[in-house]
Amino acid sequence: MSLEDASLDIVPGELLAVVGENGAGKSSLMNVLYGLYHPDSGTFRMDGKPVRFKSPRDAIAKGIGMVHQHFMLVPTLTVAENVVLGREPTKRGLLDLDRACDEVAATAKRFGFQLDPRARVDTLTVGSQQKVEIVKALHRGAQVLILDEPTAVLTPQESDELSQVMRGLVAQGRTVVLISHKLKEVLGVADRVAVMRRGRTVAEVRASETTVSELASLMVGEGTKGAALTGVPAVASETPEAAAGPVVLEAKDLRATGDNGRPALQGVSLTVRAGEIVGIAGVDGNGQRELAEVLTGLRKLEGGEGTLLGGPLAGLTPALAKARGVGHVPEDRLARAVVKAMTVEENVALGRHRQPPFARGPWIDFKGRRERTNQLLTAYDVRPPDPAVALQALSGGNQQKVVVARELDAAPKLLVVVQPTRGLDIGAVAQVHERLREARARGAGVVMVSLDLEEVLALSDRVYVLYEGRVTGHFPRKDLDERELGRRMLGAEGSHG
Amino acid sequence: MGERTRQVLPSVLSVLLALAVCWLTIAFTRDADTATRAYLQMLWGGIGNWPAFLEGGSSNAVLRPLGEAAMKAALLTLTGLSVAVAFKVGLFNIGAQGQMIWGALAAALVGAHVSLPGLIHVPLALIAAAIAGAAWASIAGVLKLKRGVHEVISTIMLNWVAVSLVDNWLVIGPLRAVAEGASSITGTAEILPTAQLPRLLGDSSRLNLGFPLALVAALGVWVWLSRTRSGYETRAVGLSPEAARAAGIPTLWRAGGAMALAGALAGLAGAVLVLGTEGRYPGSLGAPYGFDGIAIALIGNNHPLGAALSAAVFGILRAGGTRMQLLGVHKSFPELIQGFALLFVAGRMVWLALLDRRQKRAQTQAQGPAQAGAEVPRV
Repeated sequence: MSLEDASLDIVPGELLAVVGENGAGKSSLMNVLYGLYHPDSGTFRMDGKPVRFKSPRDAIAKGIGMVHQHFMLVPTLTVAENVVLGREPTKRGLLDLDRACDEVAATAKRFGFQLDPRARVDTLTVGSQQKVEIVKALHRGAQVLILDEPTAVLTPQESDELSQVMRGLVAQGRTVVLISHKLKEVLGVADRVAVMRRGRTVAEVRASETTVSELASLMVGEGTKGAALTGVPAVASETPEAAAGPVVLEAKDLRATGDNGRPALQGVSLTVRAGEIVGIAGVDGNGQRELAEVLTGLRKLEGGEGTLLGGPLAGLTPALAKARGVGHVPEDRLARAVVKAMTVEENVALGRHRQPPFARGPWIDFKGRRERTNQLLTAYDVRPPDPAVALQALSGGNQQKVVVARELDAAPKLLVVVQPTRGLDIGAVAQVHERLREARARGAGVVMVSLDLEEVLALSDRVYVLYEGRVTGHFPRKDLDERELGRRMLGAEGSHG
Repeated sequence: MGERTRQVLPSVLSVLLALAVCWLTIAFTRDADTATRAYLQMLWGGIGNWPAFLEGGSSNAVLRPLGEAAMKAALLTLTGLSVAVAFKVGLFNIGAQGQMIWGALAAALVGAHVSLPGLIHVPLALIAAAIAGAAWASIAGVLKLKRGVHEVISTIMLNWVAVSLVDNWLVIGPLRAVAEGASSITGTAEILPTAQLPRLLGDSSRLNLGFPLALVAALGVWVWLSRTRSGYETRAVGLSPEAARAAGIPTLWRAGGAMALAGALAGLAGAVLVLGTEGRYPGSLGAPYGFDGIAIALIGNNHPLGAALSAAVFGILRAGGTRMQLLGVHKSFPELIQGFALLFVAGRMVWLALLDRRQKRAQTQAQGPAQAGAEVPRV
């Protein structure tokens, strides 16, 4: 259980934000409200009367709607089909699509959404898909709408639009509960903020009467300097461009196909020098993942050419990339970076298991491996610091620390990191960021793909923006501008910086 | 509960439960006394009648049954290892039977038709059998890795190809021994004395070099998997092929190598059968040791030493099974026990859940109910 003594009052017609670190219990609390989890103890009243939700069905019947972080939409169905799913209007026992479309269009119009009910969901942008989710909840009569980390996948422009949507709903008398860890954004839109820490609600404050740093210290608890942990770096990275070293990666016109068989990279050119962090910004699914895979030898290069650490980019394999000094912190940790059923020390050895201190000839060097693992666990503050425990027994943040420790320990010349802090709590995020800066200071070229624009802005010396497999923007640090990045992320071309 | 206990306990409990269920079966159909005496007979038949021996009986009363049990255990160990090794790399080798058939044939041919001194002849016949088994397994391996053909389907079908080609044609046709005089002999020609696996206990028991060979194989596989780089890579490929690929491990070679090793081990089982006890490729290979290997590996939790241990248990039960007939209980009873044990061990997760719950309850009682659930792990 991840909730302990959590209380929350939701006032009708207000926008309540629930903030907290990852693992603080925000999502668990919302899942209790939505009938997905059942509390061991405690009471739950609506309009003064105690209620008990056995399942989301009960919650929906009482007018509670939820928009999950990962959308619950059927991609190949239309907007209208998705919205009416489960309560389809019928005519003589058959689905009445026309009526469904009319009804959905009416709901959308009533709340000021612009949606084509006949569009297929997989043709919509992420922002529009989110609107479909919101309309779906409203269509089912939701009076209270719970949004779980809704801006995590949105561009700044889309986030602004969502803020207006949420304010509009509140203006129409609906209640909105917003779960987020982006404090700046929360303060801009919420009426009231509830702060959660370790399964408890530790504070409820009016948004107009608090600050980002106050919220941050409430979130992480006493004794921690809040300002340093808000995700905005206390000290901006200020490596002047001239300090960057020799070119470690020079790529021209890269082309590759994605898993879905469609072209994912359609002519990407980029340069990375030693001693700089190059951010790759973009909305999810615009070729960032495939770019990282090409650079680490995991995906076949189908066109273009490049030089990576003195060798050709074409024909690169994971083993070859490693041999040349490429480190990789992949996006999907459990699938790519670790073998979760193996022990921590076996995972620390993964990829370097043929060299000392992990091997001696054809044999595993158990002693050397144990010593090195212990060093790394201490240096990276992994908990528990037990090299023999199965990796899956560690929390996500500690698993990620193991991965980062392993990759940096190999002293890579080029480090490719994808979403390095996804799902980590604030403390772990700060630590991972610090390590990336250390790698840069040591002279590694770092390519960092992140969907979190704040992260990109905080760390990058230069930023490339990818849109539909093409570079739509290239900014040195001094020209970085959140608005302009967001415009390029949506495909707006400009004179390349 | 330690990790090792969690691995071992479900198997032990499953075997015990299977023994209990089968005892009840006899007790219900006959009576409890017969059931108990049948089990005792099975035990004496497997490990030897120690009470009789200690009261001054002949040593044969102990040595012969032990030898039989050991030889059955040796075959089961090798085919069990075959299945377990493939499983470590994530492949389900249903084809140990076919691989064993080819191994047996190769050993029989080298044993009968190559003339060499014993010191070289035996190893050569063993190597030939291992290569034959590995080659047969590699057909399924290559189909899987290059063409994505599911190994369960291909190994099952290759079993029937092996049976049809070898049992139903080669050994009763082109390779049948030309008998001098009486013409009723089936199977291939008798192997030369130099190719026979030396007996270890003289003539009183059929125990031969095949038994230590199987033990060495089990130890070797265990050491390889747990202590060497390539064994580590093989396990990584089995547990997470994507992560292994990203780490630069040659996943196709590791998977193919494990499949070939699986075939080699099954092939060795064929060689031990031919060179150790049969003396030729018989008219039909008889007992489906290859299929039994699946049960042995699963009951042994796909651990090399676990496979050896479960092979020892079922070798003993099988060797003793014939003695149950003295009491009118059918000799296939040990197979029934094995089947039940496999059924129960398939519920490994259920066992572990039951054990965990028991442990949790014990802890809760120890701590007092007030503290239960006080721990708040992070999501």
